[in-house]
Amino acid sequence: MSSSLIIAWIYASPLSTAIRDILWVIPTVQSIHIIAITVLFGSALISDLRLAGVFAGDEPLRGVVRRYYPWMRNALIVLLCTGLVMIIAEPDRVLVNSTFWLKMVLVVTAFGLTWLLRRPLLRPAGPADQDDASRPVKAFAWLSIGLWCVVIICGRWIAYTI
Amino acid sequence: MDIQPLLQAVQDTSVATFIRESGSAFPMLESVHVIGIAIVYGTIAVVDLRLLGVTAHRRGALKLIQDLLPYTWVAFVTCVITGLLMFCANGTTYVQNTAFLFKMGLLMLAGINMAVFHLGAFRRIAEWDTTLPPPRQARVAGFSSLLLWAGVVFLGRWIAFL
Repeated sequence: MSSSLIIAWIYASPLSTAIRDILWVIPTVQSIHIIAITVLFGSALISDLRLAGVFAGDEPLRGVVRRYYPWMRNALIVLLCTGLVMIIAEPDRVLVNSTFWLKMVLVVTAFGLTWLLRRPLLRPAGPADQDDASRPVKAFAWLSIGLWCVVIICGRWIAYTI
Repeated sequence: MDIQPLLQAVQDTSVATFIRESGSAFPMLESVHVIGIAIVYGTIAVVDLRLLGVTAHRRGALKLIQDLLPYTWVAFVTCVITGLLMFCANGTTYVQNTAFLFKMGLLMLAGINMAVFHLGAFRRIAEWDTTLPPPRQARVAGFSSLLLWAGVVFLGRWIAFL
């Protein structure tokens, strides 16, 4: 089955038709998507800046990361769900859009990086744990902030590109 | 007083025409606007939750506010600048958009709410800096702020649909 057939099948499904027919659904789902972006990016910014060593340096790194990681993970789940609703509603606009696929690759990269940087800190602390991040970790924290910005930019550009 | 001739004059300037017609200027402004929103709401929500009694990355409320407020302000100014530029490009239609007008109204209410907090409970923050739950006045301010700013984000998204 080719991709255009899958897209046509999703588009014609009762769920897809219903989402498009009830006019308030798409703007409401998009608004929830943006609120979730603020939670994810706000938490990412705070904990990545702490990792980079430029924010709240007097607070233990482990505590800051542990405080914000669950919010990032839960916001990501909301973003995937609301994103899925938008895909189901307009698969003909989204699934053939190259900016959308670039965004998906970047989301996987950014969250993978987030998880790799935080994983050692989410485990119970060892006795000889250093509190300050190493130089490469600091650089990756900055990269992570940059990646999330590009993800947001891509998200907005899906509406303008094909 | 009719504001339309003024808005039309602004809309006819070369900057406004460029934003409207260049193809990439408007989506780029929107993208930066969304990044700004993510930082504004992301950081404000952390403070609001603390005012409601949800601990953040540090125990003291004052230091938390001092940690985050600079980021909130820089991001807010970024949103105002990008917002004004987008407004210049299509001012005559924005002032007739109900979602836009209500968004401006909610922004004012959010500002008033913040001013009330800063002139009230915030002045006595030394008394409740590490107290949980915070005093009623602070909790009310935090709750109102969470709702008002979420409303601002929702209405912002709805502008495109009315």
